[in-house]
Amino acid sequence: MSVLRPARLAVVLLGLCCVVLATAALGLTAGPSPVGARDALHALLDPTLGGPAADIVRGIRLPRVVAALEVGACLAVAGVLFQALLRNPLADPFVLGISGGAALGGVGVLALGGGLGLGYAAVPPAAFAGALAATALLFGVAGLRGRLSSTTLLLTGVVFNAVASAAIIFLASLGGMAEGTSIFLWLIGSLASAHGELLGWIALLLAGGLACALPWARALNLLSLGEESAEQLGVAVERAKRVLLFSTALMVGAAVSVSGLIGFVGLIVPHALRLVLGPDHRLLVPAAALAGAAFLALCDTAARTLLPGRELPVGAITALAGGPLFLLLLRRQNRRGLLP
Amino acid sequence: MPGASAPGTKLLTSLGSASLRALASRTLAGYPGDRVASEATGRATLRNVRRAFAIVGSLLLATHAAADAPARRIVSMNPSLTRILVALGARDALVGVDEFSARQEPAVASLPRVGGLYDPSLEAVVALAPDLVVLVPSREQRDFRARLEGLHIPVLALDPIGFDQVLDTFRTLGARTGHEDAARARVDAIASARAAVRRATAGQARPRAVFVLTREPLFVVGRGSFLDEMIDIAGARNLGAELTETWPRASLEWLIAAAPEVILDSDSDPQPARDYWARFASLPAVAAGRVVAVPAAEVTLPGPDLDRALWTLARALHGDSLSPERAP
Repeated sequence: MSVLRPARLAVVLLGLCCVVLATAALGLTAGPSPVGARDALHALLDPTLGGPAADIVRGIRLPRVVAALEVGACLAVAGVLFQALLRNPLADPFVLGISGGAALGGVGVLALGGGLGLGYAAVPPAAFAGALAATALLFGVAGLRGRLSSTTLLLTGVVFNAVASAAIIFLASLGGMAEGTSIFLWLIGSLASAHGELLGWIALLLAGGLACALPWARALNLLSLGEESAEQLGVAVERAKRVLLFSTALMVGAAVSVSGLIGFVGLIVPHALRLVLGPDHRLLVPAAALAGAAFLALCDTAARTLLPGRELPVGAITALAGGPLFLLLLRRQNRRGLLP
Repeated sequence: MPGASAPGTKLLTSLGSASLRALASRTLAGYPGDRVASEATGRATLRNVRRAFAIVGSLLLATHAAADAPARRIVSMNPSLTRILVALGARDALVGVDEFSARQEPAVASLPRVGGLYDPSLEAVVALAPDLVVLVPSREQRDFRARLEGLHIPVLALDPIGFDQVLDTFRTLGARTGHEDAARARVDAIASARAAVRRATAGQARPRAVFVLTREPLFVVGRGSFLDEMIDIAGARNLGAELTETWPRASLEWLIAAAPEVILDSDSDPQPARDYWARFASLPAVAAGRVVAVPAAEVTLPGPDLDRALWTLARALHGDSLSPERAP
């Protein structure tokens, strides 16, 4: 394993920070209405300013851009961590069934909430509760014998996801036309309903996830040699898995509860970064946070602006934009013979 | 408007093929006495005779479609159509309804249910031996309709989008159930309400309005639907019409930038419409206190109460300035 020079770390992260700022600026200045850069700047600098431009910039674009940055960072970091912990390149933030639990909670409120007097405001808390329940189930089943086996974790997750999607289809068929549509759109994922109040919580859980992951980054590098080898090299493998899985589960739950299931970010961003930056998790984890944030913010800006006045599902855009980009990178690396 | 003629044509063709099939199957079903003559030897001959009858009968009768007897055993797969049928006095001809009809229309709550929007049960419909199934050809029910027709069950597919198409639905259903007079009366009542509402709002300012169907995701009334026309009749400009689709999914930023003077909100969320939109203080509708909650069940379904719905909309848009002696 090559030595990670501090200079390289600084240059890469600084560069990515610039990209994040640029995409955020683009997200704040672009939209279906003609509110441009100057209005946006005015609205942001002067909190007393009223009028449609201020409502649009502060009430719609800002929470959405922040939500996209946070959710993108959560999903990409979760992808990196799950791929490393499970030593499975196909792992994504949704693979362990946490998203299934969140989706079940959210869809449950969308389908049946009307009868219980619950509205849209109850969807994110219910989704997060679902994610917590799924995490508890995951640890309860897979960690029963004092040891978290990757295979058991994956199997538990896959089965739980399958059960959750069956239950979601059942709930959707109970609901009416309007409920059906909102369930469908929630499952594709959207940042349209991002409100200011929730964003603080996601930021907190994202910070918690990163604070847990960064000190373990070297251990994740060793884990790629295999669990036994890592153990012999002094890594507390079991503890690493428990701490990281739990903090990542919280992060994914937070992201999914506000945005629904936005696919591809958590799978493509980590792999693309591995292809470009190499496999060192000390660089990969913070880089994934920044690149995931920038990627989702960019995709959401496209979702808001491609068709004037209309909303496109951001999940479809992440897949359409991310897939080809990833294949291109893969092809380039293959040609250079850099892949194992 | 490209979509306007298509449903009309669809309606006509489906009407034509459905009534032909109805005739053929009725002839095929034969007479009650048929079942007595059940000797195995006679069956083949009987079948051939019936087939000949069917062909000749359908050819003969197809030219006299007006002689078609009213449907007596109807299954309705759509709440709007169910409500229209009940309003026309055809409740007794209904033998089964979909889940949503049963939930929304108390008069049919006791009828056998044949499934919901995503899971209509073919077997439940066939078991009721209907002589007519009425439905709106949605994506979910399109295949269902083909299978019903494959079983020679007459299907009437109605897709009322525009205001006049809704009125046509009354006439079509009235004709098929033998309630032409009731249908005519309802159409006349709605047409005169339309004229009265137009007169009542004629002198008023026409506010720029957005009709919010659901908030999250944000769906609004777009161009070409009966609600688009009703907003116009009730004396307002529907800003959603610039989005060209019938029921577009709009972006919130579009709504703020469109700066509606009135927001009509029919979302059923427990948070009151006024509170929900209050966070956008720049909206003229919010500043003027003209965010109005509109009951979805009363206004957004193309049902039999369009006259009442028109007045509800007119009052929501113009409030007290609508002269009370003109507004019932």
